[in-house]
Amino acid sequence: MNTRKVMHFVAEYGIFVALAGLFCFLAISKSDTFFTTRNLTNVLRQNSHTVILATGMTLVILTAGIDLSVGAIVALAGVVCADMLVKGHGVFFALCAGVAVGGVAGLTTGVFITRVRIPPFVATLAMMLVVRGAALKYTDARSIAIPPAIEQSFSALSNGITPVLIMAGVLVVVWVVLARTRFGRHIYAVGGNPEAARLSGIRVNRVLLGVYAGCGLLAGLAGVLVASRIGSGYPQAGELYELDAIAATVVGGTSLFGGRGSIVGTLAGAFFIGILNNGLNLYQVGSYEQMILKGVVLLGATSLDLWRGKDQS
Amino acid sequence: MSLLRLDSITKTFPGVRALDGVSFDVEAGEIHALVGENGAGKSTLMKVLGGAYVPDSGSVSVDGQRLPVGDPLAVQRRGVQIIYQELTLVPELTAAENIFLGRELGGPFLARRAMVEQSQRLLDQLGADFSARRRAARLSVPQQQLVEIARALGGRSRVLVFDEPTSTLPAPDVERLLALIRNLREEGHAIVYISHRLDEVFSLADRITVLRDGRHVVTAPAAELDRRSLIRHMVGRDLEEEFPPREPKLGEPVLEASGLLDGVDLTVRAGEIVGLAGLVGSGRTETGLALFGAFASSGTVKIGGEPVDVRDPAHALAAGIAYITEDRKAAGIFPQLDVAANITICALDALIMRGPERAAAQEAVRAFDVRCAGLHQRAGTLSGGNQQKTLLARYLLRRRRLLILDEPTRGIDVGAKAEIYRLMNRLTDEGLAILMISSELEELLGMADRIVVMRERRTVGELDRSEATQERVMEMAT
Repeated sequence: MNTRKVMHFVAEYGIFVALAGLFCFLAISKSDTFFTTRNLTNVLRQNSHTVILATGMTLVILTAGIDLSVGAIVALAGVVCADMLVKGHGVFFALCAGVAVGGVAGLTTGVFITRVRIPPFVATLAMMLVVRGAALKYTDARSIAIPPAIEQSFSALSNGITPVLIMAGVLVVVWVVLARTRFGRHIYAVGGNPEAARLSGIRVNRVLLGVYAGCGLLAGLAGVLVASRIGSGYPQAGELYELDAIAATVVGGTSLFGGRGSIVGTLAGAFFIGILNNGLNLYQVGSYEQMILKGVVLLGATSLDLWRGKDQS
Repeated sequence: MSLLRLDSITKTFPGVRALDGVSFDVEAGEIHALVGENGAGKSTLMKVLGGAYVPDSGSVSVDGQRLPVGDPLAVQRRGVQIIYQELTLVPELTAAENIFLGRELGGPFLARRAMVEQSQRLLDQLGADFSARRRAARLSVPQQQLVEIARALGGRSRVLVFDEPTSTLPAPDVERLLALIRNLREEGHAIVYISHRLDEVFSLADRITVLRDGRHVVTAPAAELDRRSLIRHMVGRDLEEEFPPREPKLGEPVLEASGLLDGVDLTVRAGEIVGLAGLVGSGRTETGLALFGAFASSGTVKIGGEPVDVRDPAHALAAGIAYITEDRKAAGIFPQLDVAANITICALDALIMRGPERAAAQEAVRAFDVRCAGLHQRAGTLSGGNQQKTLLARYLLRRRRLLILDEPTRGIDVGAKAEIYRLMNRLTDEGLAILMISSELEELLGMADRIVVMRERRTVGELDRSEATQERVMEMAT
């Protein structure tokens, strides 16, 4: 195998190799602390909301867009959900309300992107400010505690492997959408060549609306899960989560230029970052160094993406 | 001694020998045309010359002195300038700033006036009718090309390489460019001219070199070659004829359109190929897009006698109208998707069943003779001809009644062109109506049963196959 082929392989499957390598390394070197059911379940659970956010982000980035508002939506969905519980609505209703808030925010962004033609970066940045501000205003910047009477049934959402099951459900649904539906294929088409998509009879604006609404819904779901874990609706929750989601998506091989990427890659990207954090904690590396390392990983993954793009043109 | 000499250049890419011991030379005061099908190695050879590629072996020399390989700057310093097919101007800069890009005059502060004056002088010499202070974005394509040429000349060039310079130019500008190139020859420049358009090659070239599959086939004075022998050298066999004979069996009118744009009236019958001629800017492409619902226009469109509302391409496709773009890269192919997905994209069910999808794609690949490594090959890596066939497969996967082809053979080599023409014949035999938009008159005369001529966004007349000549079409179009 020559160098070019090796490079190609690394670019195409690098994240899976890297994830497997990292996992094996930690499983051997820290078998007593890393490779335990308890720790691994924790890793899965701690990263479940990042994976859910990154799944929605993957849809958006596949269309060559970006969504900076998901972190703020996590907060607003959480406080709305908590408030519904305080007001005596059932858990299911509160949950749906939180998710719906995310969907409405995403749909609104989508309208501005498709009708007014505001670039996604600006439209979602604006939505981030609006939504975060709304969450703070709604709560007067205080967190809303979940009433003790229903805390038990609400926190069941984040106990044990429930969040992991929810994450798995989201992954399966979105994977099916992307790989096995017309809508999913249209997402790739719109991201790969919007003009060709239009001339193929694809209603590009509808696809984009669907994508931003879907990303918002998933952010709402993540927000509800976060509220369940911390036991309250906290208006400052989810800060910088959008960046974690983007990082996981990009490290997982989805191209920022649109048209190329996969859910499986995003899953691997999210857990690469998650396990890296976990491993660094076990090695007692400080959080500042962890931040630097995350940045380096992101630079490396993006460089590979660009190199691969050039390779195929 | 030759001014520029490339000697035994070999260049391999993984799995492909792109150039195999190719030699090429050009004298001062000579136009040497380089021809060959797509993939013959012309572009690779010029990239080796320009320093973008490092050859495995072989040498490049100017005036008998070897140039360091893979060093674009050294090549330019020795006076070799390549004018690429794609225009490379920075749109936000003025013509003058573009001309002096990378070799600005002045010390720490730019000598702006001197650069503008020198640029204007160069542009005037080239017959330009615009100011050097104008921003590139506001120049037309022919004007931008003049700026590119001025930039090349400003670099004290001795060897000029033109890579497909006329592929995006309207006819009158082509003549002007060819005259300009002849002038440059008289001034003693050595000129390499790369083109698919054989009539231009014969009207310009002193010598012609043919490449095929990365090998040098022949170099001969242009006077010793004719069109037929040149094509034989290019494709490696006799091409029976460029345009297969047509025996149209005309049926009922399929398309009846009236009042599009500023007065476009068109009828196309089942089994008929109607050619749409006109100069650049006459509204040919807009007409095609308007019929397809991709360009807003007043007027009425009837398919099979029934009025249809072509609000957007989805409606047009549902009504049986398909449009294949003139710009495959920007508006046709999904480069990262595979051949199968490219073909099935506008015929998908809400839920995709992989088996039937691939079977349909496989069948279309066979019917349209798309040559690919498999359904999994990414469409961006197909040749121009196979990309075009992929688009035909996509738009004809479902039954259509009218096919609009915009520049169906642009950027496609001679062999693949003939295949596209034969496909058009087969499709009309099956009863499809075809509207062919083309800026190549020969193609219109060779394939269309009827030619409709456009001028200033309206139809101004039509000619039957038997009465159409280049002169008569041009007369109507201007």
